[in-house]
Amino acid sequence: MSVAVSAQSLTKSFGRREVLHGVDFSVAAGSVFGVIGPNGAGKTTTMRCLLDIIRPSSGQVRVLGVDPRTGGPGLRRRIGYLPGELFLEGRVTGRKLLAHYQAISGPVPPGRIDALAERLGLDLDRHTRKLSKGNKQKLGLVQAFMHQPELLILDEPTSGLDPLVQQEFHGMVREARHRGQTIFLSSHVLSEIQQTVDTVGILRDGRIIAVEPVGGLQAGAIRRIRLTASKASGLTADDAVALLAGVPGVGQVQVLESDGGVTLAAVLEGAIQPLVRTLGQLPLTDLVIGEPDLEEAVLRLYEGGQEEPR
Amino acid sequence: MTTLPLFRRAFFDSWRSTLAWAAGLTGAALLYLPLYPSIGGSAQMQDMINALPAEMTKALNYDQIATGPGYTQATLFGLLGFLLMTIASVGWGAAAVGGDEESGQLELTLAHGVRRIQVVLERALALLLRVVLLTVLVLLLVLGLNGPAQLGIDAGNVAGAAVLFAGLALLSGTAALCAGAVSGRRTYGLAAGAAVGVLGYVFNAVGRQSPDVEWLLTLSPYHWAYGNSPVTNGADWGAAGLLWGLSAALVALAAVALDRRDVGA
Repeated sequence: MSVAVSAQSLTKSFGRREVLHGVDFSVAAGSVFGVIGPNGAGKTTTMRCLLDIIRPSSGQVRVLGVDPRTGGPGLRRRIGYLPGELFLEGRVTGRKLLAHYQAISGPVPPGRIDALAERLGLDLDRHTRKLSKGNKQKLGLVQAFMHQPELLILDEPTSGLDPLVQQEFHGMVREARHRGQTIFLSSHVLSEIQQTVDTVGILRDGRIIAVEPVGGLQAGAIRRIRLTASKASGLTADDAVALLAGVPGVGQVQVLESDGGVTLAAVLEGAIQPLVRTLGQLPLTDLVIGEPDLEEAVLRLYEGGQEEPR
Repeated sequence: MTTLPLFRRAFFDSWRSTLAWAAGLTGAALLYLPLYPSIGGSAQMQDMINALPAEMTKALNYDQIATGPGYTQATLFGLLGFLLMTIASVGWGAAAVGGDEESGQLELTLAHGVRRIQVVLERALALLLRVVLLTVLVLLLVLGLNGPAQLGIDAGNVAGAAVLFAGLALLSGTAALCAGAVSGRRTYGLAAGAAVGVLGYVFNAVGRQSPDVEWLLTLSPYHWAYGNSPVTNGADWGAAGLLWGLSAALVALAAVALDRRDVGA
């Protein structure tokens, strides 16, 4: 499996302030890699290093097999970039602006710009500075995707987009991946990471504190459970609690109600099979097993990072 | 692939501003030059100028307005035209790199298939071409009004003066471009460009007052260009070379500076 992007011990200081303290990761070619992390963690700085907009203080970076410091225009034509804060102020139409970016990026297939604009619902004949934030973002997405680059670097790609357009964007990411393009994106929207990404890197305080397949993150995530069992069979709340607490991975068992039936709430971490087997012994009248809560898993990783010595 | 894509964008996207400055310069020429027969050439006006403090006439270069070439030199090339061209050139120079970076747009341009040196050079070329266009306009206006306004200007001399006029504006503009490229801030670019223009003018005005402060003249690009009244006496080509050469050096410095630093940090 070839590597599209990698960083080793990447550090970056602005003056005396070090914002990246040795970032390590690698992104497999043809995969979707998502970076999440709180504001100021260094997501944007890392991306700018990949594009030679800012230069690393130390460490090694490889983008499509080349050091961005020496890759020059040839390398950047193979990349599509969407900056985290997009400023388009010119008194030009979207179409003219895209024609300009087309002239300085890789070759754009005929009709591609119109197809993308139509897909995202973007009017190309309006002046860019009159566009809303969401429409500017669409313009930014079009210029990043239009030349079908080998690598897409997208900083908070869905910010400002309404939910329907976000779905469209997720579709574009999936298609790009099918075509073999590699995508490196950042987000703080976990549901988005869950839907689009293969591998997640968690960046916190200038360090990657975890890199996991998104499936792995889900396996480590907790699910919330709520169940109600009938008392007709002589079941008491204590019995039910004891039974449930004995299942591996179940914790925080609470009795919500024990008058009519017995209603319990708990959280499950890990495999659901042992739980399902145990639940078979109960006269259930209702059962809810929630989706894995990625947010909790990530929050725990953030907090875990805090315990490390800085 | 399009040739010079960055130049084309910088040049064509600013056509409104270019047109506005062209209108301003046309207004300045049409305001001043046709009045020469009734102002500069008249004995009454000469009496009035003689009545003014000598320091003032020297500062404004009005000591030479009794002749058509001197009048054109002092009013159009030396005062209002100089002012308009300097402001235009400084504004464009400061916006070219520093302004673009400050507004956040340079980052996206640099993420594409361009070199930073190319960005600076193409935008400097757009600045140059706009300054040259405005200068050609001024030159044509002077030549067109030469007969009707009885200016009696030698075409070769005024062409030489136009080269200096453009060079002077370019020096301020490239100083603005360079300071913007070094700092990433439009304001620093504006300050640097304005400093070159204003200090040049002030050093010339003060330096002409007395031999004690004459040394100020050597620091004044304005004086390099206009010290010998080029519309009357023909251009000092050494001064022209100095103005254009320094401008080129400032552009080169801007390119190297931008190439070596972080952008948008």
